Amino acid sequence: MTLSRRALLCASVLLVLPTPLLAQEKLAVVASFSILGDFVREVGGDRVSLTTLVGPDGDAHVYSPTPADAKAMAAARLVITNGLKFEGWMDRLVKSSASSAPVAEATRGIAVLKAPGGHGHEHGKKDKHGHDHSGQADPHAWQSVRNAKLYVTNIRDALIAADAAGKASYEANATAYLAKLDALDGEVKASVARIPAASRKLITSHDAFGHFARDYGIAFLAPRGISTESEASAKDVARLIKQAREQKVGAVFLENITNPRLIEQIAKESGARVGGRLYSDALSGPSGPAGTYIQMIQHNIRAIEKALVPGPA
Amino acid sequence: MGMNLYQLFLAPYVEFDFMRRALVGITALALSGAPVGVFLMLRRMSLTGDAMAHAILPGAALGYLAAGFSLPAMTLGGLAAGVIVATLAGLVARLSVLKEDASLAAFYLISLALGVAIISMKGSAVDLFHVLFGNVLALDDQVLLLLAAVTTATLVIMSVIYRPLVMECVDPGFLKSVSGMGSTVHLAFLGLAVLNLVAGFSALGTLLAVGMMMLPAATARLWTADITWLILLAIFFGMVAGYGGLTLSYHLDAGIPSGPAIILAAGGAYIASLFLGRQGGWVWRLLPGRHLRG
Amino acid sequence: MNAIHLDNMTLGYDRHPAVHHLSGHFARGSLTAIVGPNGAGKSTLLKGIAGALKPLEGSLRLQERARLAYLPQSADIDQSFPISVYDLVAMGLWSRRGLFGRIGSSHRIAAAIEAVGLGGFEARVIGTLSGGQMQRALFARLLLQDADIMLLDEPFTAIDSKTTSDLLALVQRWHDEQRTVIAVLHDLETVRLHFPDTLLIAREAVSWGATGDVLTPSNLLKARRMIEAFDNGASPCSRAA
Repeated sequence: MTLSRRALLCASVLLVLPTPLLAQEKLAVVASFSILGDFVREVGGDRVSLTTLVGPDGDAHVYSPTPADAKAMAAARLVITNGLKFEGWMDRLVKSSASSAPVAEATRGIAVLKAPGGHGHEHGKKDKHGHDHSGQADPHAWQSVRNAKLYVTNIRDALIAADAAGKASYEANATAYLAKLDALDGEVKASVARIPAASRKLITSHDAFGHFARDYGIAFLAPRGISTESEASAKDVARLIKQAREQKVGAVFLENITNPRLIEQIAKESGARVGGRLYSDALSGPSGPAGTYIQMIQHNIRAIEKALVPGPA
Repeated sequence: MGMNLYQLFLAPYVEFDFMRRALVGITALALSGAPVGVFLMLRRMSLTGDAMAHAILPGAALGYLAAGFSLPAMTLGGLAAGVIVATLAGLVARLSVLKEDASLAAFYLISLALGVAIISMKGSAVDLFHVLFGNVLALDDQVLLLLAAVTTATLVIMSVIYRPLVMECVDPGFLKSVSGMGSTVHLAFLGLAVLNLVAGFSALGTLLAVGMMMLPAATARLWTADITWLILLAIFFGMVAGYGGLTLSYHLDAGIPSGPAIILAAGGAYIASLFLGRQGGWVWRLLPGRHLRG
Repeated sequence: MNAIHLDNMTLGYDRHPAVHHLSGHFARGSLTAIVGPNGAGKSTLLKGIAGALKPLEGSLRLQERARLAYLPQSADIDQSFPISVYDLVAMGLWSRRGLFGRIGSSHRIAAAIEAVGLGGFEARVIGTLSGGQMQRALFARLLLQDADIMLLDEPFTAIDSKTTSDLLALVQRWHDEQRTVIAVLHDLETVRLHFPDTLLIAREAVSWGATGDVLTPSNLLKARRMIEAFDNGASPCSRAA
């Protein structure tokens, strides 16, 4: 009797032990940069253990993966990338980390926007995967909230494929988040409506807002050569200033990844206001104004509205 | 082309403030870089100048880490790093079996790697490029003031130490026997070199700032052997390269970045002088003419 | 009242003495030759007097406020540096004019250049000078330094005889002007003919005094027997003066 009770006790303990471990085992997901990371967190919730490669204020165009990244990749069960050739270094990283995780592109199925030729720019002389936009698809698709919704559904599907047990949770989270995105979309449209039509143009230093421009009707002037590249030619700067003067562009925006002095000089000479910072390719740190995707879009549109609506500076 | 001379040579500067500023900045750099560069070259320290430019990097990087693209922070940091490396190199040369060139090489390489590591900690490769290449088209009032101050300081100090500096170059033993000023002068000169590199660095970045010092000096040497003329010609070539490079960067559709354009212009003058310079220019060597009577 | 007084002086490198236990004096206005075999410590002694080397032991005293001029063996001059003979010679005035003083006395410089026989060479760049011409230019510089004590380290080595005799005449002139002159020389004939006093050393003093008394065959033999190389296994020297 004692023996069988003890055996039963042992057996039940043995059966119970792994369960908490199983219950706690999260899905290891690697997201290529901070914006994707935010989406994955929203949809994945507690079921997901997330590693983001290019963190806040980082520039994914010229990112150099570290050994820690390779380790995370090897341990991952799912990798989420942007696609549209945004991460030129991802293929090499997948190969070198020998990761067996499926790589899901968040932009699958998106209505591709071809960046107009002549708006290309190179990122850094050492990066062989020079990021030239001219004639290619603009990868910054998340700038349009409509596209962001597609990102979210793609991510949801990828998570379900990797972790079928969490299907219900993922669907619920996604639906809730999509609703928030809808509200955000409305917010942006309302904001733009308040800006007089003639004033809906501005200058940034990075060619990242094509999708935003297309979907919300604001013209973004971004010159060739004055972006994350290190050196601008006088010709490009002069051309931009002339254009800004002629079109009476209201505001010039800095970015969280470039040298501010040049932009300030351009603003001064073209008579435009310096509008503050726009967040294009990365979120800010959690204590910054753009810690999540929704905050980022809100920050951007509020800054734009403030700069372009005529009135006291 | 259809552009008249005015449009070609003056209009860019009349029309755009950033062009005027760039020209003023580069002129200041040429003015103060030339005498320093001439002496570096005559003392066979041309590569030392290059090494010092790299040595400055971690100081500027620390300044950047502490305060972003803050001019005072990066300038002070760069100065400190330059002085430290120069001093350490000298000390090691004096107190060990290594000569100054080896010890300087060791320190500047350590310095450079340190600088890259520091910047990569906070920023990305992009920020590194900004520090390495500067931006001559974004010279705000602060930077212009710094350049003007450095130019003034350089010209004043050079005129003060000119005589002992020449002596120290030609016959250091003699200088030592008549005065104790030798090492002070040597340090003052190195200090000026570092100062000019740090100033040049906000306009042209670390890699190219030393170009404005050495290329005009080397070019001038191909035309004259007289010290006074060397300095004057070096200033001249520096200014011409600055103006030429900027104007080229403005007009050419290819869109050459302005910093490299300036250095390329200086390089072009150098190569042309290799052929045409009165001092041993290759063209002159081919047509030597008859020798003189006596 | 002596120009230079040496008291049990030892000079050397890394604790090995190049010349040790040297005691004696150079009278004011004397004209002394320092001779000895190779490695005898002659240059080292001159460097010590010039102040370029600190004594390992013992002491060295100079007359009060003496102006020193030192011509090293092979001047470490960068001949590729683009200055003229005139500028090189003018350096001799520098210590009196300071950083800014106008080197006004151009006729003094010209006179010095003439005195050494380099008239007409003023504008020439020093890189174009021959060995003899360079030495003349350095002598002209020495002239301008107007020093009380003149130290010359092998000033006539590898120079043609015409230059040598011209420069020896200059040395005689300095002697007539009551300056103290000390020269390291190799050619004993020159010493016998032109130098009243001689110090013969072979890592230590062999003989010091009038040239005729010093340069005797027995003294020269003694000097020749001196050991040239430093003894790596030497123990500390226990000798007194």
